[in-house]
Amino acid sequence: MSWNKVAVVGAGLIKFGELFEQSYEQMAAGAFTAALAAVDKGIEPSAVDAVIVATQRGSLWGQEGIGGNTVPSAIGLSGIPCTRVENACPTGSDAFRIGAMVVASGVHDVVLVIGVEKMRDKSTQEGLLARAAAGHPLYNRGETAPVLFAPFATRHMYEFGTTPEMLASVAVKNHHNGCLDPYAHFQSEVTLEQVLTSPEVCSPLRLLDCCPQTDGAAAVILTTPERARDFTDKPVFVAGFGVATDHPYLHEKSTFVGLPATTLAAGRAFDMAGMAPADVDMAEVHDCFTITEILDIEDLGFVEKGKGGPASLEGETALDGRIPVNPSGGLLAKGHPIGATGIAQLTECWWQLREEAGERQVAIRNGIALQHNVGGRGSGVSVVNLLTRNA
Amino acid sequence: MRPVGVAAVGAAAPSLRLAAAEVGRAWGSSGGRAVVAVCDADEDTFTLAWRAATDALCAAGLHGSAVSGLWWGTTRPPFAEGPSHAFLASALGLPGTVEGALVSGSPHAGMEALAAAWDAVAAGHATVALVVASDALVPGLGTAGEATTGAGAAALVLVADGAAAANGSTGAVAGSPNGASPPARLVTRATRARPAVDRYRGDGDRATGDVYDGRLFREEVFVPLMAAAGGALSATDVSSWVLADPDGKLAGAVARRLGAPLASAAVQAALGDTGAASALLGLVHALAQDVAESAAAPRHIGVVGFGGGRATAVTVEALRAVPGAVPVEELGPGRPVGYTEALRARGQLEPMDDPIPMGLPPGGAAFVRGNAEMLGLHGARCRTCATISTPPSIHPTCIACGGVDLEIVSLARAGRVQTFVVNQTMPPPFQAPLPLVVVDLDDGARLMVQGSPDDAAALAVGDAVVLSLRRYALERGIPVYGYKAFRRPESDAAPGATPGPVAAAHKEGR
Repeated sequence: MSWNKVAVVGAGLIKFGELFEQSYEQMAAGAFTAALAAVDKGIEPSAVDAVIVATQRGSLWGQEGIGGNTVPSAIGLSGIPCTRVENACPTGSDAFRIGAMVVASGVHDVVLVIGVEKMRDKSTQEGLLARAAAGHPLYNRGETAPVLFAPFATRHMYEFGTTPEMLASVAVKNHHNGCLDPYAHFQSEVTLEQVLTSPEVCSPLRLLDCCPQTDGAAAVILTTPERARDFTDKPVFVAGFGVATDHPYLHEKSTFVGLPATTLAAGRAFDMAGMAPADVDMAEVHDCFTITEILDIEDLGFVEKGKGGPASLEGETALDGRIPVNPSGGLLAKGHPIGATGIAQLTECWWQLREEAGERQVAIRNGIALQHNVGGRGSGVSVVNLLTRNA
Repeated sequence: MRPVGVAAVGAAAPSLRLAAAEVGRAWGSSGGRAVVAVCDADEDTFTLAWRAATDALCAAGLHGSAVSGLWWGTTRPPFAEGPSHAFLASALGLPGTVEGALVSGSPHAGMEALAAAWDAVAAGHATVALVVASDALVPGLGTAGEATTGAGAAALVLVADGAAAANGSTGAVAGSPNGASPPARLVTRATRARPAVDRYRGDGDRATGDVYDGRLFREEVFVPLMAAAGGALSATDVSSWVLADPDGKLAGAVARRLGAPLASAAVQAALGDTGAASALLGLVHALAQDVAESAAAPRHIGVVGFGGGRATAVTVEALRAVPGAVPVEELGPGRPVGYTEALRARGQLEPMDDPIPMGLPPGGAAFVRGNAEMLGLHGARCRTCATISTPPSIHPTCIACGGVDLEIVSLARAGRVQTFVVNQTMPPPFQAPLPLVVVDLDDGARLMVQGSPDDAAALAVGDAVVLSLRRYALERGIPVYGYKAFRRPESDAAPGATPGPVAAAHKEGR
């Protein structure tokens, strides 16, 4: 595959959390300011040629019909070309992929990809839990978000002997990492015991197996390798990306011990980049629930299928492990403002590859990072992006 | 007129049992020793009717497509006005050409449905008539009816009695489905009426009010009408009586006056007054008694139903064991509940917060497209690779091979748990714990459906389950029905080991 290279020259986010005091527009402006400030040699806002907005559901703050023009107005760029992307939980990572393709195409030189999501303007009952009554009146009835992943935990435990402790070890690790990330929603340690005794939300998942409901925004600035020299001496490049889909209903899944969309997306990204899982120094993966991270590290090729539980329990994915996963704290500790999630993960990869991650910095050997999301009804879509600091 | 036989019967009782003592505790009264059957939150007269009818068809060895008319009697159809009959016909797999009627207005509706179906078969309009009598009464809070009114359903498959016709004078007609003469036949009937107010429910009332004066009702309305109707049956000797009984004491008085034993007391004792279902539910129970004796000398069972100032009596001649006949004890013991749980299940105790509305309006296009496939549990089978995609309306192509040559099939009603969760965290109207079960059906289809809260603690991967129709939602006044998974004993799980999936669920008391 022949395509023009793309560079990331700025990335930033706002502190994630229950941001009751901030509007959608204020969060967007905060993320844009952070991304501009991260550009080593400085950048004028007017240098941006186009905006890709990642917002998954305006319905959580009463704006069902949100389009692409809200954000340019909020960040002082009204008039600029702007398109909103929606692609379930990978909304942010897919917006990044699309932004990269826009730059690679040569149509626009400098593209802002910005993810913004309001998760807490409505009560939990009227917000995220209301999806229990959405979709097919029978075959989705009662399907809150944990229902999309908990059946995989049940089956993974049945087939591979994965234990609640193994699931809990993912939460313990990511909460630990979150303590080292000033942008994380949660910045407190949890113990295995605390995870295992937290209230059951959707068997076999307990409260601390689940990511919180988090408001947030994140932004990255993409440009050509040539223009990148104007902005930084330490650019990070897009090495490859992949998107894949699967059937949307849980009863259509061919397997309940893996998410085929992840495997397909990763294969495409690695092929495009000419890389393999063993080349990756660190990964930010979709850990909306503890079981999801276990499925991810198997489906992405970091560990053998069925071995994700023991690998997590034994520390292979810790900051100093064989393949550090979610040094930012992941969705479990940093939070999951859907449209912003992927962009924030890419921001973490950018910092890690530039070795600017402070206390949570992992060892960078090959200069390669992987970012991954999976979601939608039945985990029917996944996006994988590969970044490299190697020119 | 052609003689009419009973080819098979079926019966159903709901999941819950409420002791009158629990009602008494709530209101500071003695309560008494009675027990009544109560529908769980996802059961109603429709789901009970479906179960009884499914079992009757299964016992008759008939597919729904063989039925030419459905007569359904209930005081509380799922829609006071609406497509109740069409929904039930669809859920039972009856053809779109099916005739018949929904009879309502009083607990007498069950007997009216029987009489109308009898006439249709006798006149030659219907070859196979399905009679269903079901009810799930909702008594007024604080009324005596709380300790006496129950729920249940019975179904009869009526056919022209070819053998009797051959012996008689009406000439050759189509006989029972397998060519043999039916095991029971309808002989005579009589109706008596008096324009007196008994139990009633005004337009817009949610609960049924009690009789104004119990002694007045007994002496001037119930006992005289019942005895007159029963006494009017022509000369055949009635060996036992099945009698409607609004309070558990009145039937005995009528039986004494009619001079033969009461065969339906056990049904009243187990389930309470089942309204429109009571007479036919009593008949199904009576047909299951003393089958050996009837082989020697045919029995005549006198069945008298009551309601709305009318009583109708029918004589049923039992010649042999009737397929599907079950004593009430085998309809399951049910799960004992307290008063508040019974109220919540009946919708008489509701949270203040508005329930989360269903994303799709049940009157809308998605339901017009999807109702038949949801009620009938349809899938789309690929003629190329045999994979079943469910439901058909959202699957124009096969999920496995992408093929477009698909045929609609009715899915298997039993299978095994591939995986599951128990959801504990949902807004109203959902109630936790709610199992959601991915089932690998015996025909190879895979489906995710809701499970039973009763199974939440013990459910495991690999468990055998059976699917049964339940009410998923009551949305803007419209019931939404679909199939749910229930664990069944391993002994029933071998392929072909059960006569029908619904029967297996009954054995577990559902």
